[in-house]
Amino acid sequence: MDLSLESALTPPGAPADPPGSLAGRPLDEWNAAYAKVESYFQALRMRNKVLVGHLVIQVLRRAMQRALTEPQVPATQLAAEEMDHLVTGWFAQVLQEPAAGSSQMLSTRGRMALFLADMPGKWQDQFLRPGPWPEEFVKAMRETYLDAGPDFQLAKMTPRPLDLGPIATLTSFGRVPYLKMVVGWALFALLLVILFQMTHR
Amino acid sequence: MEAPAPEAGAPPVISPLPRVHRGWRVFIFLTSAVLLTGVVAMLFADLLWRTGWSGSRTFLLVLFVILFLLAAIGCMTAIFGFVLRRLGDRRRITGLGDYRNQDISAASTAIIFPVYNESATRVCENLRATYESLERTGQGDRFDFFILSDSTNPDSWAEEEHRWCQLVRDLHALGRIYYRRRIHNTGKKSGNVSDFLKTWGRRYRYFVCCDADSVMRGDTLVDLVKLMEAHPPVGLIQTVPALINSESLFGRIQQFSNRLYAPIFITGLNFWAQSFGNYWGHNAIIRTEPFMQYCDLPQLPGRKPFGGQILSHDFVEAALLLKENWQVWLAYDLEGSYEESPQGLIENAQRDRRWCQGNLQHTMVLFARGFRSTSRLHLLLGIFGYLASPLWLMFLLTYNWMRWVHERSGLSEISVRGFIMHVNPTVHALIIFIICMCVLMLPKVLALLDLAVDRKRRREYGGQVRATASAVLETVFSTLHAPLQMLWHTQFVVTSLLGMSVNWSAQKREADGTTWGYALQRHWGHTVIGLGWGGLVFWLDRAAFWWFVPVVTGMVASIPLSVWTSRSTLGARARNAGLFLTPEETAPPAEINGLRDRLTMLEIKGETATRPVHSGLAAIILDPYVNAIHVSLLREKRLNPAYAAALEQLGVGTPEVRSLAEKMLREGPQKMPVAETRLVLSDADVVVWLHRQAWLRPPEKLAAWWQPAIRRYAR
Repeated sequence: MDLSLESALTPPGAPADPPGSLAGRPLDEWNAAYAKVESYFQALRMRNKVLVGHLVIQVLRRAMQRALTEPQVPATQLAAEEMDHLVTGWFAQVLQEPAAGSSQMLSTRGRMALFLADMPGKWQDQFLRPGPWPEEFVKAMRETYLDAGPDFQLAKMTPRPLDLGPIATLTSFGRVPYLKMVVGWALFALLLVILFQMTHR
Repeated sequence: MEAPAPEAGAPPVISPLPRVHRGWRVFIFLTSAVLLTGVVAMLFADLLWRTGWSGSRTFLLVLFVILFLLAAIGCMTAIFGFVLRRLGDRRRITGLGDYRNQDISAASTAIIFPVYNESATRVCENLRATYESLERTGQGDRFDFFILSDSTNPDSWAEEEHRWCQLVRDLHALGRIYYRRRIHNTGKKSGNVSDFLKTWGRRYRYFVCCDADSVMRGDTLVDLVKLMEAHPPVGLIQTVPALINSESLFGRIQQFSNRLYAPIFITGLNFWAQSFGNYWGHNAIIRTEPFMQYCDLPQLPGRKPFGGQILSHDFVEAALLLKENWQVWLAYDLEGSYEESPQGLIENAQRDRRWCQGNLQHTMVLFARGFRSTSRLHLLLGIFGYLASPLWLMFLLTYNWMRWVHERSGLSEISVRGFIMHVNPTVHALIIFIICMCVLMLPKVLALLDLAVDRKRRREYGGQVRATASAVLETVFSTLHAPLQMLWHTQFVVTSLLGMSVNWSAQKREADGTTWGYALQRHWGHTVIGLGWGGLVFWLDRAAFWWFVPVVTGMVASIPLSVWTSRSTLGARARNAGLFLTPEETAPPAEINGLRDRLTMLEIKGETATRPVHSGLAAIILDPYVNAIHVSLLREKRLNPAYAAALEQLGVGTPEVRSLAEKMLREGPQKMPVAETRLVLSDADVVVWLHRQAWLRPPEKLAAWWQPAIRRYAR
């Protein structure tokens, strides 16, 4: 059984590479591409190194196939594009959605479904694996939609005019409910003033 | 779960309620305060008269009357509260009938958390504690939760979305806990609530308004709904939130005084307010329809600080409900309502700055036609809560002025015999001082007496001895803090009246509280005033100096006082010594226990730590999940015609946004103003494009800023 890295990466039928390069690109370029793809899978909270390594290799294989025919495109870009195609294609299969036409919507919905189905916590081994998938996983992926709010029940609120007029209130002072009480206090205060005046001459 | 709704957009029919008249309670209560003030004012006038009358003495007397009346109102509130707590108070919302068997199956309630750039982790954990507690009551499906964001900081925005989504997933609460962020935060908090009501209000018979730091127990929420169902004329029930989760010494002192003194004060307040209570803006249940009909706040005429938007909306909303004959009650005996408080003097003052401007603005509506007199009283007491400080400062300065004039005159001090008290002027002054101290201290003594006769409560405060020692220390601290409050509030009142804003740079806190540098920056003025004033009084009148010692000590010691009281290590030491204990510390309910455990766990994981600037933006663009959540929410937003129009008005969908996004990739987000960042992050298509581009592009086509951001994901 051949376990060499080269056999895992080199596309079948590809010409042999000179030392220091793979699929016609320097090794450093593929190293950067590897790091980028690995970062993305880690951003998806894939923590199992074996699974991540396996998926990165899968992506790089596809990128290397393209590298032979698209020499002007940087390896990092090729790898990132292949990762995007791979992930979006897988979302289309799992979610039973057409892959073409609305890949942006599909990618968003797929990532949302991964999050809500708690792929990093429960289903890491199912990610990017070809079907069939466990029923529970498929159900979790297909049936979870983000619901940020219930159905709208739109209504209007209009501020009612507020008559602030202190003058108007003062002119209608006679209708103030505590008038008698306030007058009582005022008389009490007046009595104190008079008492004070009378006793402090 | 949905209440039967009228035709969309049409105002619901609410039968007018009969106008209820106030009884004798306000009269009895206020008259007792006025009588006490009258007697002491006479004694004070007599003292002033003994050395000859003058204009400054008249001014001093007027200030004394106002300040003493405010203190007397506080004292009488405590006396009435204490007596009622001992004799039993049947005139309270929970005692007006049996509400516990009330069926709430037809009542739908929304629990809303309006947030504005607060820690999303804390908000979500508070919500989780409330949600889980409600689930335990078995009545959880009668309630929906909403996080209503007004956050303007892109990092807070991203954090909120992510935390909300995690919360929903962890609690399996899809369709139970919702999140909505407004595009423009017009009208601030009241606008935020109003926007919620316009969008979903008709679905709910009631809504419970919480703050970002609110936690409510499930059974308390169920009780509130039952009370509303049992009393149809009630428009609003305000609970009395207990302060929790304080760690610093300042926070724990505030927490202790809130828990110990509030029961008698609130019982006293309920005595005279009854069904004409007040709204404090959070931890209250509100009947949706009357609120929607009557409580959309108008803009006040004129310019700031009095014109424009009503800042402290809560008092005015309660007044508007009362105006339309809806009842507003304080459910003061309903436990299980919690909030947090500032952890340092400076943070406390920052909060006061906001409240001060709002309360002063209430002068505009004080005489609004149709407002109930009790509402005017609530508003007036709120205004004087801040106005009292400049009045106190004026009182002290006037006294100093009188001494100055006397010293300059070269006349000797000759006093005649007092008419009321035949004692020498020093003893006369001492008697008035002792009366003032009694009026100020009596509430504390009554609160301790109230504790002494309740064995269970006593234990919850660590025993009578510890509670008394804590109250004494709290009094010492309050004495030092009061002069600082006086200076701060005076500054706030003056700057608010002049329409100026006070520039508060961001709080510089270290792990254990306020830094010395920041304290120096904020308090150097207080220290200088304290030293200058103390020196002046010492030079003018050495005998009077000792009366001023408590005032100037607080100012002179403001820097160390501010730093040390913000320390959580000192708060912990006080707790270990059994000081400032509260029932939520000694016998915490399950909700608070669970909340603390989770916060500790999150702290250990580093999830509560302050994140670097633009970390939220980086997450929205780079993190596959945060990006998907963000885009999904933006797409859902477009379903609301009002939001769709607002997005369009913002410029979403135009080629300019794509250009800004390109700039963000090529130059980095640090080169862009926040408004441009917000615009880019408001465009769903552009955010999806940014995610792809950030991951697809080779490093040389991205700004250097993105490389470490991408590398952070490669662990």
